[in-house]
Amino acid sequence: MNAVKDVKVKNKSKSPGGSKNPIVRSFDKWKAWIYLLPAIILLLIFTVWPIINTLRMSMLVNYNPMKAVGGATFKFGFENFTKVVSYPKFKQVLGTTMLLCVTTVPISTMLALIISVCLNAIKPFKRFLQTIFFLPYVTNSIAIGMVFAAMFNIVGSFLGSSNEAIQSAGIINNMLGFFTGNKDFYINWINAGSSYTSNIIVMIIYIVWNALPFKILILLGGLQSVNKQYYEAAKVDGTSRVRTFWRITVPMLSPMIAYVVITGFIGGFKEYSSIVGIFGDSMGPAGDAGRLNTMVGFIYDAIDSNAGRASAAALILFGIILIVTLINLWVSKKRVHY
Amino acid sequence: MKVVLQNLTKIFPSRNKKSKEEVVAVNDFDFEIPDGKLVGLLGPSGCGKSTTLYMISGLQKPTSGRIFFGEDDVTDLPPEKRGIGLVFQNYALYPHMTVKQNILFPLQNLKGADKMTKEDMIKQAYEAAKLVQIDNLMDRKPNELSGGQQQRVAIARALVKMPRVLLLDEPLSNLDARLRLQTREEIRRIQRETKITTVFVTHDQEEAMSISDVIVVMKLGVVQQIGAPQDVYDSPENLFVAKFLGTPPINVFTGRVEAEKLYIGDAAVLDVPGVKDSEKVFVGVRPEGFIINENGPLECRIFGVDVMGRDVSVVSTHEASLNPTVRSIIDADNRPAPGAETVRFLLKPHKVFLFDGETEKRIYF
Amino acid sequence: MAKKNTDLIMHDKDIRAVKGKARIGEIAAKTLIYIFLTVMAVIVLFPFYWMIISSLKSLEEYRLTVPTFWPKTFHFDNYANAFSTANLATLFKNTVIVGVISTILSLVITVLSAFAFARLEFKGKNVLFAGLLATMMIPGELFTITNYATVSQLGWKSTYTVLIVPFLVSVFYIYLLRQNFLQVPNELYLAAKVDGTKDLKYLWKVMIPLSLPTLISITILKMMGAWNSYIWPRLVANDLAHRLITNGLRNAFQDTSGNTDYPVQMAAVAIVSFPLFLVFLFLRKYIMKGVSRSGIKG
Repeated sequence: MNAVKDVKVKNKSKSPGGSKNPIVRSFDKWKAWIYLLPAIILLLIFTVWPIINTLRMSMLVNYNPMKAVGGATFKFGFENFTKVVSYPKFKQVLGTTMLLCVTTVPISTMLALIISVCLNAIKPFKRFLQTIFFLPYVTNSIAIGMVFAAMFNIVGSFLGSSNEAIQSAGIINNMLGFFTGNKDFYINWINAGSSYTSNIIVMIIYIVWNALPFKILILLGGLQSVNKQYYEAAKVDGTSRVRTFWRITVPMLSPMIAYVVITGFIGGFKEYSSIVGIFGDSMGPAGDAGRLNTMVGFIYDAIDSNAGRASAAALILFGIILIVTLINLWVSKKRVHY
Repeated sequence: MKVVLQNLTKIFPSRNKKSKEEVVAVNDFDFEIPDGKLVGLLGPSGCGKSTTLYMISGLQKPTSGRIFFGEDDVTDLPPEKRGIGLVFQNYALYPHMTVKQNILFPLQNLKGADKMTKEDMIKQAYEAAKLVQIDNLMDRKPNELSGGQQQRVAIARALVKMPRVLLLDEPLSNLDARLRLQTREEIRRIQRETKITTVFVTHDQEEAMSISDVIVVMKLGVVQQIGAPQDVYDSPENLFVAKFLGTPPINVFTGRVEAEKLYIGDAAVLDVPGVKDSEKVFVGVRPEGFIINENGPLECRIFGVDVMGRDVSVVSTHEASLNPTVRSIIDADNRPAPGAETVRFLLKPHKVFLFDGETEKRIYF
Repeated sequence: MAKKNTDLIMHDKDIRAVKGKARIGEIAAKTLIYIFLTVMAVIVLFPFYWMIISSLKSLEEYRLTVPTFWPKTFHFDNYANAFSTANLATLFKNTVIVGVISTILSLVITVLSAFAFARLEFKGKNVLFAGLLATMMIPGELFTITNYATVSQLGWKSTYTVLIVPFLVSVFYIYLLRQNFLQVPNELYLAAKVDGTKDLKYLWKVMIPLSLPTLISITILKMMGAWNSYIWPRLVANDLAHRLITNGLRNAFQDTSGNTDYPVQMAAVAIVSFPLFLVFLFLRKYIMKGVSRSGIKG
């Protein structure tokens, strides 16, 4: 029984690291691929192929898949990109998209930060208020956009400019009238003849309203994970509330702030359905369709008629998102405190 | 059911892509585990003991060599066909199932001729639970149990299928000291009652010595010694085994052999008949191998005396000692006089082991 | 120096005064916080309130120059009217069919893939997984252009298939579930192997029960996705027989300004929003959990 063998270690290797956590070698190696098969097939068709094909289409001038099936050939080149960029409409949608981005992201982030800090400072009704602030998340942005439209809408013909003709200036205008003391005061927010600025203001209000819940959720979650001892230490030192906010809360929250800003910008560049919600498919007030069109809307408008140009626009959008994300990451690398 | 391991070898491919070096986890393991015995696989971490256990269980395939249960070659059988019960170090209880559901789970997988009726399954589950004395906890969830109770559930789940071989991976390492002692006895009792051939893995030599019928000491994938615990302790075959077994650990000195006499430092401490002259040998002396004697050849400087009741432990230093201190266990009546600075020892020959200075293999005398 | 030291020593009275000041400051701050939060909460809730009361007004009342904040008479018939005007019954049916089928299939695919990535060993696993994660960076619009051409050529336009199949695989859900599966100790899998448990049974009996919260989150987000999807359905299945609820709602009430029949429109909006509120009320925990890790809407 004492069968000790006189063995030499073949290899002078040190402790076999894998012995503690054995890798179960599946006896049938193809099994994993069977599990992955449905996902892989669908991904190949609807994710991998589109990436390749979008690159291809963007390089074929004025490509149209239906014509391609019919045997048409298309010139290879960068003309789709140059056409898209030189298109006045493209500049317009890019401007609107950027304008909405640079206004809504800072406003909603700041507001969400203040609300989160306030929520974190209270005890009674905290959960109740938290629930209310999360409510807009679980809504249909088209449906609630229609509600916002109703709130800003003027019912009745006001183009005759006689105030009697207005049956209702809408609840928002009514409130403005109440607070300014001028009952006849109204702004044409979204109706025919309204100004671009007032349209944009309505969009900003709606987009911020829509964006708050996600940001509050993330920031409040971050706040709750900040060690309470930092605040106690600040209190002992007699640090003022404002100073505590800027010197402790904001630095501690910087990773979450960076996260909501980045996702906010990505979402902002893809803004589309909130505008459909308020203005309908026409993407603008009556009589000025397409005035508030965005990058995504631009791509969809071209999808049927000129897939090549749509692809080029989609790639430009991807490039912009990538650059903005990288800039954000670069800034946050400098500013995020850990 | 005896378990035979034949030239069992396991080589893991290298994880590091740059070096093609393979890792030999178990090297040419040859051993027969007699029927109904409790065998402890013992060694420091990374010695291949767990890999050996997983190969017996079938969760890992040996690179070469065969495994037999009785006369059946099970090398190519999947775990469930081998009739084994395996208890994991962290117990691996299903957290969302009650104790009863956990124990029933293996039975519900049985198919064909082995398929059992619901009543039989429940009966068998209760029998297993009774054996480990948890039949009053059947409706609890694992997180409502103490560590010791979870351990018992894991054992019950391993036993419920009446396995031919029971395998335990570090069964006591997640328990506190008191429970460890208790559970150790428990495992011994269960094994005696069921007479199932049991293999367990541990890095704790005391644990292995106290309950095993046979221990296997391993190092870097190579079996060092196999035998009854007392035999291995009394007659280690190499320096590693001598050092690995025993608390307090063995004292190791460097010495030399000249004219069949063993020298430590300049003192001839022991006659070693039949041993060839050697410039360098390792001398292992068990703590209980020292006798205080005024004329003893080995003189050490006293560092302190630990009183342990019946015995005292004399802590001293010696230049030739490879351990920082020399620890000896002395009958309390013979302890050195208080205030003494040095102590002289005689050595008990059967508690002294000589090892080759190069190969570290035992030199018998 | 000596003077400074005496300055630092406060008398009981001073301490009380400072403490009192601090407490007043505290109360004032708390009051301001509550006022601010209440105002914000009212602003957040106002659209919902306005939607509901408008949906119950008569058209005449809605058009009053000075709006009323509570309906004079309740016109529940607006809801019946909305239901027929917008064909809501068909839209509901379509959305439920698409939502349920795509959720079930998507869960199956996600569970199988996540299991393969979390528990099985195969060549190229890490490369494949990294590749999948990389696709998450690309905006969906980039896929839509080709997918639109693909489904057109497959002849899938105006079918349920086109609304279900292209979105069955979500890399993010696979990632989420894989992370969850990885938290289950490997020993549970080994223990199940020793007992001869087949992989699928192990998945069903152990992994799925242990990952139930994540699976519920995925289910809710997926259902909400079907409910709220607008762009793709409008593009590929804009016929009445297959139209989904959001698209149908928008189509039924194209006008958002001017002289529209707002009470009926608001009733329709309320009907569409109501199921979401129910989901929110009862399953808030799961939604918040899923959302905080994803940042994707529906």
